[in-house]
Amino acid sequence: MSDDEISERISGYIRERFLSGDQQQELEETTPLLEWGVLNSMNTALLLMFIRDELNVAVPPMKINAGNFQDVKSITALVNELARQQQAATPAGTESA
Amino acid sequence: MNLHQCVIDVAAKDPHRLAVADPTGALTYGVLDERANALARHLRELGVGKGDRVVIWADKSPDVVMAMQAVLRLGAAYVPTDGASPAPRVADVVGDCGARALLSTPGLLPRISGRLPADVPALDLAEDLGTASAPINESADPDDLAYILYTSGSTGTPKGVSISHRNAWAFVDWVVTELAPTPSDRFANHAPLTFDLSVLDLYAAFAAGASVHLIPSELAYAPTQLVDFVHESQISIWYSVPSALSLMMRDGGLLERTPPHGLRAVLFAGEPFAIERVRQLAGWTSARLLNLYGPTETNVCTFHEVVPADLDRDRPLPIGGAVSGDQVWAQRPDGTAAGPGEEGELLVDGPTVMLGYWGQPPHHGPYATGDIVQVLPEGGFEYVDRRDHMVKVRGHRVELGEVEAVLAAHPDVAEAVVVVVGSGMDARLAAFVLPGKGRKPGVLALRRHTAERLPRYMLIEDLHFVADLPRTQNGKTDRAALAAAARHPDTADLL
Repeated sequence: MSDDEISERISGYIRERFLSGDQQQELEETTPLLEWGVLNSMNTALLLMFIRDELNVAVPPMKINAGNFQDVKSITALVNELARQQQAATPAGTESA
Repeated sequence: MNLHQCVIDVAAKDPHRLAVADPTGALTYGVLDERANALARHLRELGVGKGDRVVIWADKSPDVVMAMQAVLRLGAAYVPTDGASPAPRVADVVGDCGARALLSTPGLLPRISGRLPADVPALDLAEDLGTASAPINESADPDDLAYILYTSGSTGTPKGVSISHRNAWAFVDWVVTELAPTPSDRFANHAPLTFDLSVLDLYAAFAAGASVHLIPSELAYAPTQLVDFVHESQISIWYSVPSALSLMMRDGGLLERTPPHGLRAVLFAGEPFAIERVRQLAGWTSARLLNLYGPTETNVCTFHEVVPADLDRDRPLPIGGAVSGDQVWAQRPDGTAAGPGEEGELLVDGPTVMLGYWGQPPHHGPYATGDIVQVLPEGGFEYVDRRDHMVKVRGHRVELGEVEAVLAAHPDVAEAVVVVVGSGMDARLAAFVLPGKGRKPGVLALRRHTAERLPRYMLIEDLHFVADLPRTQNGKTDRAALAAAARHPDTADLL
């Protein structure tokens, strides 16, 4: 998945679940999600589940910090980096379930 | 006894023992001691001394715990604020408590520059100050201020609960007697350091020479990661709001794994714990289960240990009887003490009752909790209800009026009503906003507005714009109707 695709999927999920649809299209890649309380300790868990189930990327506890979740841009970078690592760790010819 | 003496004593005897850790780092007692001395010296050079206040603004970390120790060593008091708290609110706290200095982190410091009085230095708390430093250990009187915890205030401004060394120690002393922690114990710290639950985790661990393992706020409600943490850190004593335990059981697979080998006590406080969850927990671990009760103003003043007979109850657990050297009783509206089977407001008197709210006259005599309890026939109390509009969201006190006042201050908002939806781990704040005439406030604009003025735990999760607010027959806002609508998000926007 490209950066743009990942970014769009994550933005879409945040708009739908945490911003009542974001009618006025205010969400940007650099909107400070933690600082403005769009993401909090409870719904970050929901976003993690979305990333695991829909983007097939597991986020290890070490990576769950304020820096990696501050905005859509940094979440996208994290997911992209983890996706590469996790793909490299999967033996060739197998597919993760 | 001074609250800062424990670390000094353990460091002298056994400097290599682990004191505090989080996923990014750890400090032994020896290093914690040395660095606290170095930071204390630095603060002293900047003019901080006995009786002063120092605000700490940072995400939880071993360094923050070190900074708290440094401040106490000067005979000064620390005032913790969460790293996620907005800079203007932190600046308000600095002003309100007349802080002598602010300790923070490089990521946050630029945000507050220009907002502080010129004579209040702002420093990086983790700055490398070297270690060659003579010990600093100012003796504090029992009634000297140790820390201030700011909580939600009904009038729209937060209140600073002032806690003395005597207040804090009376509670820690009880914990040490009750749990008899040893150096091999490993305490979890789930609560933010701004929340009084953390006082147990830190100071009971230090009193025993044990270690405390900090859970970063981003991890605090991530169910599977939290369960992994409990196992990887081999926690022996856990203390949190019930929501965190419920979440681990429901979504984290806590019960599907054998308990960590050393787990011997699970403590919870801050809100009622569904009895079904208590049953599941008791079926999973043989660790002691303790229900603790007490507002920030008194810390823990009653507790109840779960016994097998409790598991047959269909009501929440009792909050139990007095601890920490306190006396507690239920007072009926006519001022007399309630008897068995009767209800009344819980009053607390004794060594844990706060000095007072910062900036207000000192508190004297018993503290009225605002909690209605029932006196149980077998002794002890059961929590019934609140007297006022204060609500709890995962153990945090929230005055709805404070959140409403902030929303209503936005230029696009005519009126706002905030209600709590759900309970326990699913509790969240929902706001109904009536826009000003011809105005179209944006969801993010309002979130930004509130986030710049309120701490993270007071932020609304659901935001509904309405064309009208429902009224009761006597013209008051119909909060019950709004709460009902908020439970069904699909219809809430159609009001």
